Amino acid sequence: MTKPAISVRHLWHRYGALEVLRDVSFEVAPGEIFGFIGPNGAGKTTTIRVMATLLEPTAGRVEIDGIDAALDPDAVRRIIGYMPDHAGVYERITVREFLEFFADAYGIPELGVVDAVIELTELTKLEGRLVATLSKGMKQRLQIARTLLHDPKVLVLDEPASDLDPRARIEVRDLLLELRELGKTIFLSSHILTELSDVCTSVGILEGGQLVVSGPIGEIAQRLASQHESRAAADRAVTRVDVPATLEAPAPFAPGTPQLPSDGAATSWASPAAAPDLGPGAGVTAGGVAIPETTRKRLKLRVLGESQPIVPMLAGGSGVLGVEAGPGGLIVLNYVGGDQYVAEVVRYLVTSGVGVVTVEPERNELERIFLEVTRGELT
Amino acid sequence: MSAQTGTASLPPPESMRGLARVRLRVAGLFRDPNPVWMRELRASARLQRTPVVLAVTTGMMTLLICSVGGLASIDSEPAKVGVWLYHTFFSLAFTLVAWMGPAMAATSIAAERSGGTWEALELTGLGAPAIARGKLLGALTYVVMYLVMLAPVGGLPFLFGGVTALEVLLAFVLLGAASILSVTFGLAMSSMFSSPALAILVTLLVSIPASIAAYLGLGVGLSFAANNLWHGVLAGPPVWLPTAYTRADFGIEYVTLLVLVPAVFVALPAWLFHEITVSNMAAPSDDRSTRLRVWTLVTGPFLTATAVACGVALNDDAWFVAGEIGLFCTWLFVAFLFTGEPLGPSARVQAAWQREGAGAGRRFLGPGVMPASALLLILVFGSFAALLVAAWLTLKTPDDYQGVLAIGGYAVSFLVFVTGFAAWARARSRGAGVPRIVLLGVLFLAFVGPWIAMAITGAFMDDRAPLVAAPSPLYAFELRKVMLGTGPERTLAVFAGGVACFSWTLIGLGLFAMAGVGVERRRAEERALKAKLEASIPPEAPHAEPG
Repeated sequence: MTKPAISVRHLWHRYGALEVLRDVSFEVAPGEIFGFIGPNGAGKTTTIRVMATLLEPTAGRVEIDGIDAALDPDAVRRIIGYMPDHAGVYERITVREFLEFFADAYGIPELGVVDAVIELTELTKLEGRLVATLSKGMKQRLQIARTLLHDPKVLVLDEPASDLDPRARIEVRDLLLELRELGKTIFLSSHILTELSDVCTSVGILEGGQLVVSGPIGEIAQRLASQHESRAAADRAVTRVDVPATLEAPAPFAPGTPQLPSDGAATSWASPAAAPDLGPGAGVTAGGVAIPETTRKRLKLRVLGESQPIVPMLAGGSGVLGVEAGPGGLIVLNYVGGDQYVAEVVRYLVTSGVGVVTVEPERNELERIFLEVTRGELT
Repeated sequence: MSAQTGTASLPPPESMRGLARVRLRVAGLFRDPNPVWMRELRASARLQRTPVVLAVTTGMMTLLICSVGGLASIDSEPAKVGVWLYHTFFSLAFTLVAWMGPAMAATSIAAERSGGTWEALELTGLGAPAIARGKLLGALTYVVMYLVMLAPVGGLPFLFGGVTALEVLLAFVLLGAASILSVTFGLAMSSMFSSPALAILVTLLVSIPASIAAYLGLGVGLSFAANNLWHGVLAGPPVWLPTAYTRADFGIEYVTLLVLVPAVFVALPAWLFHEITVSNMAAPSDDRSTRLRVWTLVTGPFLTATAVACGVALNDDAWFVAGEIGLFCTWLFVAFLFTGEPLGPSARVQAAWQREGAGAGRRFLGPGVMPASALLLILVFGSFAALLVAAWLTLKTPDDYQGVLAIGGYAVSFLVFVTGFAAWARARSRGAGVPRIVLLGVLFLAFVGPWIAMAITGAFMDDRAPLVAAPSPLYAFELRKVMLGTGPERTLAVFAGGVACFSWTLIGLGLFAMAGVGVERRRAEERALKAKLEASIPPEAPHAEPG
């Protein structure tokens, strides 16, 4: 097993009598972008401060690249780049002077490092500008540049995209992806879940000082789905209701008998189980068992030509909760299943002679996971 | 190497011994200056108001000096005008340094905290001492810039006569020393706050009255004492010290009072303020104690030596008593300082000690309220013993010595109590704030309470007076007075004083022992909690390197 870049094991922290972290454990592998999510007051910043050697934990261990953060802070500081939430800048110096100062403070032995970092973070045009005149996004970029000066293995970024406009967020996101390409391990805390799902390879969700779930997003979703399946199975055993096969296992897509709405207009169809509302969180099975949000998914397909004739082809298929047709060849499929299922649907359509132009899975998986595993509790 | 100055590192010399090492270090100061200082200078250079403020200050000072000179020259000879101008200018310059220096330094560290730049700076690995040094140099540069701008105006008095060029130069040197003191004080205050506004406010609330007291006490007040010793020094004018260097007769008194005492009174507080700054800038889990403990360890012998030197040089029991009062106040302050000690070293500090193979001496000087209190007790006994032995060897009459002994003995016993009480109070609380406030309250009660009790019971006029007043440390002065006399009241006063001293010592040692037990118990509780929480940690799985 490869040595993790970050290892947090049974971390506890108390401020006086207030317990802010309770047995938090997770690992981040080298080269990962790990998203750390949690409501306000969940203990994210405390965890990050322990990782950044700014706080000694009450109990537990945090190791960065195998070095104990509490016992050898100097060694850890050499290998991490930390950007605190709402980090400040020195306003009355220029961008270059700012980076030169930190290069000296880090004791970097080469003069060219500042130039390299300016180039990497695309601050070349701004290097002569006073920091005070920079936009928030540029200041954030400058902060990231600052964390890169000593070539750290691990970047710990606390809310790097907070207060940024959409363009700046996209720029920061792209920069993070670029840094990942360079082999950096990035630990990222953020409230913006869609943004995290765009860049993170795995996540950890903290609530009430406890880590409720951690791992790759897909794996977590799969795990939660399995849990729901077990629960659903238990419910079946007790209530003896009929549950569609789709909830028993993530079965591959298989076409069923085409079903048409009573009015004959094939513009939309919804399974009786999910009717009348196909919106998130409202679905129930035929047996009355709620279909959890994490397992209900939406897929947008764009096909050549009219989409209405396609609706009956998909309706009634295994795992299909509903199909809607839209203008311009748009089809929205509500289903239960994984990536394999999507592949089966596409293959079925293609082999049936339908020209599939785009396939766009809905990208709120992380939001759904977050909502499901947290309860909005504070420590 | 410095990216800020664009200078590359010097190649290492062939030998790193002796002169080569010194030369490399000196070269490093210029080629690799403190990065914080460099940044402060760059930022200050961009501050548009700096030259305006400098020009306005210089202009106003020039106008003021010209006005004073003009008024004084109406009916005074030029030499007297020169003296007038000299005292006026340096009094104003002292005010500028004493008020502006701390106020400017006070924003320095607090602004890093409020501006959200502190953590980034802390994690660079530069270290609190280097950051504090950079801040000190930055603030000092700013103050020195004012002094340089004012130098031509300060040179005017010399042209009128009455003061020599050397006296003007010495006054500027002393202003520089005052600048160091005021800036280090401002930085120490700044390191305690997160809000620059609050830091400035509190700093000025302390520094303005303190500077006025220093001006009147050490300036005007001491000029009379200096005139008694050296008639060439004028009695009354406040800026007497620079003139004393050229006008006093050279001898042991000169060396003691004009060289040793000012050096100690500037260097030790400045060093203390610097160490307080460094300590406050370090993280709570870091070693914030050793440097302060080293200061205490060095200050003890230095202050004792100064007190002994003053007493021996002037061969006067009053100087020995003054030395005792100085030592008493210093140790009282140190007791307050040590109340801020943690109960013991953090896991981080212990790991660092283990890594570096720290010996027992270093661990004794590390974090922990009990070793700190033990050190204080050692220093209290040692310093007073040295002073009393010197007094015994120097003073001619036994009565004089007994007066010094009375005050010294009482001071030691009361300091034992204070040390024990401070340790006990710290052992029972989570932080340093409550024990300090409680200690302050206890000191107030101990000093003033017995006298209030005496006033309430009306015991002033009868034989019971010593018995009621004896618990107050101020009673030591009464004791010294009665030591000179004879008769039954002397016996009663000495008996009451002896009982008070014995009681303070006994209570102090008892509290010290209780503090030791309390600290051990709390440390054991902390260890037990940590062990309980970590009990669930499974043994670490081995990680294989990739490939």
